[in-house]
Amino acid sequence: MLTTKTFIKKTKKGGILKIVREHYLRDDITCGSEICEKCDNKSARPLQENPVNKSDVCKSPHYLIPDTNVVLHQIDVLEDSAIQNVIILQTVLDEVRHRSAPGYKRLKDALYNPDKHFYTFYTYVERQPGETANDRNDRAIREGVKWYHNHLSSKKMSVVLVTNDAENKRKASEEGLNVFTIHEYVKSLRDSSSLVDRLAQSGQNVSYRDKVEFPEHLSLSVIQKGIKSGKYVQGSYMASRENYLEAYVSVHDGDKMIFIQGHMNLNRAIHSDIVAVEMLPEDEWSCPSSLVLEEKEEKVDEENIEMEDEKVKKRKIPKELQQPTGRIVGIIKRNWRQYCGIIRPSTTRHLVIPAERRIPRIRIETRQAADLASQRIVVAIDSWPRNSRYPNGHFVKKLGTIGDKETENEVLLLEHDVPHSNFSEAVLSCLPKLPWVITEEDMKHRQDLRHIDVCSVDPPGCTDIDDALHCRELENGNLERIDMVPELLSSNLCSLRCDVDRFAFSTLWEMTHDAEVVKVWFTKSVIFSRASLTYAEAQMRIDDKSMNDNITKSLRHLNKLAKILKRNRISNGETNSMVEEFMLLANVYTAKKTLEEFPDCAMLRRHPSPPPSNFDPLIKAAESKGFKMDVSCGKALADSLEKAVIPADPYFNTMLRIMATRCMMQAVYSDIIVHRLLAVCIGADASYPSLTDKHKTQTLCNNLNYRHKMAQYAGRASVNLHTHNALQILIPKYGLEGTLRVHRHVVKQYSPVFHRVIVQISIDQSNVQHLKLSIKLVEPVIPGFSVAPAKKEEEEDGPPRKKVKT
Amino acid sequence: MYFVCFFLKDNCREDGRGCEDYRHMEIETNVVSNTSGSARVRLANTDILVGVKAELGAPAPEKPDKGRLEFFVDCSANATPEFEGRGGEELATEISGMLNRAYDCPACLDLQKLCVIPNQQCWVLYIDILLLECGGNLFDAASIAVKAALYNTKIPTVTVSRDEGIMELEISDDPYDVQKIEVKLAPCIVTLSKIGHSHVVDASQKEESCCLARLMMGVTQNGTITALKKEGSGSLDPTSVEDMIEVGTGKRVGEALNKSLTTALEEEERQGTKSKTLGFLR
Repeated sequence: MLTTKTFIKKTKKGGILKIVREHYLRDDITCGSEICEKCDNKSARPLQENPVNKSDVCKSPHYLIPDTNVVLHQIDVLEDSAIQNVIILQTVLDEVRHRSAPGYKRLKDALYNPDKHFYTFYTYVERQPGETANDRNDRAIREGVKWYHNHLSSKKMSVVLVTNDAENKRKASEEGLNVFTIHEYVKSLRDSSSLVDRLAQSGQNVSYRDKVEFPEHLSLSVIQKGIKSGKYVQGSYMASRENYLEAYVSVHDGDKMIFIQGHMNLNRAIHSDIVAVEMLPEDEWSCPSSLVLEEKEEKVDEENIEMEDEKVKKRKIPKELQQPTGRIVGIIKRNWRQYCGIIRPSTTRHLVIPAERRIPRIRIETRQAADLASQRIVVAIDSWPRNSRYPNGHFVKKLGTIGDKETENEVLLLEHDVPHSNFSEAVLSCLPKLPWVITEEDMKHRQDLRHIDVCSVDPPGCTDIDDALHCRELENGNLERIDMVPELLSSNLCSLRCDVDRFAFSTLWEMTHDAEVVKVWFTKSVIFSRASLTYAEAQMRIDDKSMNDNITKSLRHLNKLAKILKRNRISNGETNSMVEEFMLLANVYTAKKTLEEFPDCAMLRRHPSPPPSNFDPLIKAAESKGFKMDVSCGKALADSLEKAVIPADPYFNTMLRIMATRCMMQAVYSDIIVHRLLAVCIGADASYPSLTDKHKTQTLCNNLNYRHKMAQYAGRASVNLHTHNALQILIPKYGLEGTLRVHRHVVKQYSPVFHRVIVQISIDQSNVQHLKLSIKLVEPVIPGFSVAPAKKEEEEDGPPRKKVKT
Repeated sequence: MYFVCFFLKDNCREDGRGCEDYRHMEIETNVVSNTSGSARVRLANTDILVGVKAELGAPAPEKPDKGRLEFFVDCSANATPEFEGRGGEELATEISGMLNRAYDCPACLDLQKLCVIPNQQCWVLYIDILLLECGGNLFDAASIAVKAALYNTKIPTVTVSRDEGIMELEISDDPYDVQKIEVKLAPCIVTLSKIGHSHVVDASQKEESCCLARLMMGVTQNGTITALKKEGSGSLDPTSVEDMIEVGTGKRVGEALNKSLTTALEEEERQGTKSKTLGFLR
């Protein structure tokens, strides 16, 4: 059947368009129930004949039909294994897609999960005059319920409409349908206590003892108008990591930052929301309190927030410190995710303290508070009413016991948005089945390099062995060396483990003994690694003169070549051992090849020339010890670094080098893309169109850059760095770097750059969520600041050498 | 020629009609879904489709507080091979010119209602007339189809909000929240053809070929003549003209035509979506 969908749209230019879409309706869609004999029984029927029923309100077997708001707000409940046999109407699906992309994805996942017995059905109703779009959708949902009701009534199967909309509920019961709110339904389920906790709070008509009243958020249309007229600005909200009463709003992708301070001005915005900001008059401009830094632990409890606010207001800000300041008038888009945290139990409503400092505490209702007190949990935010100091949320899941290594690991990954959930079925189905064998088909396109004695060299305990090397003498006296990278994704299959066949991507060089490249070619290959060595093992083999097997010989050749290569490269002007050297060589040749073939979309990891100002700290630090750094070019810098050696202090040079590296910006590359491009070059793989699309490549790069950055943050978070008014201490013995907070006057009278100090280290456990390395100064002795050495025995071990920088 | 003229003396035309009788007419509105309003008129073999598209535009400088009508006639080569290439251009200009003149009268359409923001924005109604088949009396049929299409036209309700001097237009998201155009007094064109000594309305193609002079007039439901035009190589003496307009046929036929058209359109609207649309594009 053909119908049309008509709507009127306003174009960007101000024109008004009538848009008519043809809408084809099918009448052959089945109800999807196993019990049904009326519908075509060939199609899939996910709805079970005997659904498990634990509800007390509807004792007959039934299917559930939720409305849009139930799906949007209670997706955590719907995802629970206790909820099965659910019919999702197309109307609901469309609305969910419109309103929440993550919600839609989760709903889709539930629909595709055969264990959930979810089914999609479509009922079409035409919008009537005077009916709002929402009314029409509600009616479409009721029509759907009615259809199922009539369709399955002869089979003694009921359908239950789940809606929290009072009007919709009333109309549905008038029409004689089974209808419950999600709260009524879930509470009626037997042994449902954990499910009840997951219910999102409706949040209305609850009074809080908070005595706060936030300014109302403006409606979206008012905001849009205001943005157009320049009254408001749109930006993404970034809460401060140091102070929960301060935030920045980044406008135009970070071109401009607007400072926001104080509870009322922050107005319930949560980190990463898209907000509308109104600028404050210039005489009310402020600056972050951290500019005058003091250790501000979360001592400030809810009782004295008002006081905090007052304090903020009273402080006189010097003109030169003032920053453009604004206040938040509305939220354009909430970007809430699920947050990890720990619970602080109280009587009924409990506060969850998120691991991420930028997120406010979340109020949840749960009956298992005592249980959860020792756990790391995940919660979701549902709403933030005007009269509540904290956002309301609900419990999602337990991660594990606080302090447990696995749990803490998961928290770190979750909080830094490192995707670590299991791969979807679709991804896994692309991977070859285990046990994995090499087929004839595979061999057709590959060069068999299994006869060659390949080995890999990696740090100890490394699971994803990603480079394997080989070098052998050719009959003509030249050396052939091969470098390989795995083709498939991480661990097992991708890891170039020893004594198994693996697919690889190989770069083969023919080189003279002087490391001059005679010939280079690329190929897909099958290899058989003879040994996976650690760096230390490799070094021992090279040094042990009694060993003369193929691998050792190969390693020696490689080492020799590497040394030559490094010398050459440094003379070309670059700062930067055996494996690394060859990987670099492989990269350079790969880049050359891809660039030749795909000038538009070749990617290369590159370190852009950093702006000279980045080197300021380095130059200053070196000056304090009487060395001059030349940062005009890579070579000059390398030379200066080479010369800056204090024989008495072997670590000085290393420290300088660390600093120099920090000064340079990190750029990101993608091995996988380069591999694919290379594969296209050598004609081994059919290219897919998006690979050679410049824009797609750019987006991909952006994503890679983002992931890389987040991964670095994640890594750094475990060390926890602060940089203001503090000394950066490097403890070579433990490979640790920490911060020693000092007062300004201490820094003034004692400028300690690159001095050797003795410190005492311990773990600060005052905040369970953020374990910190606590460093205390022992030597040199500064009265009122340094501490007495802890224990004698430690010194007998020989005190660890410690350096201070900055 | 002789045949046509001979019978006319007895108020009997070649197809048996009287001098003031129209041929059988079919009107259908809302036939093209992606227009703001549309109608199709079939008058014997004459087949005309009209679509009205409402768009926002700038008002004419001399009438800053009024909306605009833009007529455009397309003589499809499907109608007659003569229209091929640029063959129909002259006729198209003639028809659109006549419609322009007929509608250029403050009494017939309240164009002020089409104004959104004076001097800035108004509704422009683009009226596209498509000749699908020629069976005589194109002007009358076109004007009837235009009136029916305007009757069917629904303009989205626009609200103007003033915010610090910036006008902002907002449209309602309800597709039923629309404005209709009052077309009660919109004119129809009545063409009187002088054949021999008689004046006939709704001349068929045969009759048109016998006619040397004709008078076209835009007539509203209350008898107002909004436009007049004489066509043809023959001459008309003043008494004959007066007879055609005042005393005789033109005015009376025009009033009757308008009334029956309004009745028919109202009837169709009353039946609403219940009645199955017939015949065209379905």
